[in-house]
Amino acid sequence: MEEDRSTTDASQLTLGISGEYMSGGYVLQSQDVSVPNDPCFPRNNACDEDDGEESLNDHDDGGMKENFREQDIYLPIANVARIMKNGIPQTGKIAKDAKECVQECVSEFISFITSEASERCHQEKRKTINGEDILFAMSTLGFDMYLEPLKLYLQKFREAMKGEKGIPGVSVGEGLGEELTDDSFTNQLPAGIITADGQQQNVMVYTTSYQQIPGVQQIQFS
Amino acid sequence: MSGDNVNHASNSKGISLPMTRVKMIMKSSPDVSSINQEALLITTKATELFVQYLALSSFNNGSGKDNKTLLYSDLANTVEGTETFQFLTDILPKKIFARDYLKLIEENPIEEADN
Repeated sequence: MEEDRSTTDASQLTLGISGEYMSGGYVLQSQDVSVPNDPCFPRNNACDEDDGEESLNDHDDGGMKENFREQDIYLPIANVARIMKNGIPQTGKIAKDAKECVQECVSEFISFITSEASERCHQEKRKTINGEDILFAMSTLGFDMYLEPLKLYLQKFREAMKGEKGIPGVSVGEGLGEELTDDSFTNQLPAGIITADGQQQNVMVYTTSYQQIPGVQQIQFS
Repeated sequence: MSGDNVNHASNSKGISLPMTRVKMIMKSSPDVSSINQEALLITTKATELFVQYLALSSFNNGSGKDNKTLLYSDLANTVEGTETFQFLTDILPKKIFARDYLKLIEENPIEEADN
């Protein structure tokens, strides 16, 4: 596996001379298709498991965000590949460059939805993007076929959380983030979440113990 | 970790993407200040659905001799042909071998602007 392919080499090939006079826009492809493994964007999560992930998670978002451009943050390729495999017939195989490509598409998708949701949020003078904003964004952007499954999923999740009401130290578990470690989250309920104007928002609190205690949500600072 | 019931609930629905990373990508969008937990959850789940949908559409679109393998070109073709995926066209240009490109230039001698 060629991991030390020079960046200039491949980047010239992929960023390419786009054929503007052609209807489509082409990009040069090398014989052996592989993408440079740049430590800036942790593509191969296997190698970066310890470095990439922890360094991304250990610090405040603010600090690390400076160092990563939007298009450099990807979801781990193993996860992406697994989901792809689940989507296609069992006998199907997936080319490596296809996996990497979908990895990029995913980041693009997330950003796409988020900026649309964020815009709506701002229009309504709110600061926190909530579930409705996301659903609305999806419907606006043409992903309305996801709405029903997502609403259903959300409903089940809410019911599951209600079931745990009043139990402190409830953790969501591996399903919601295999990289949640004790080291990653030292912040407990940042003060800014419950705003002074009494806004009661169900804002995500990133703690190792997932607390959904009604008492907390109703605190108001007047 | 405690809360076995919750583990089962969320695992049986099966989110297999790291939400922290999803959140990071979301926050890298300009003007995003905070994201509520439900929003993150829905986005993560939606991303899974998106991946499956894209993979399956492209797989079914497969034209190559090897119909069992999902190729980059399948993705590029699907994106081009599906309206919902148009936002991906910039990051999914069709690939062409250098020799074919050079041939095309020869056949269509158009002056190219400086890149």
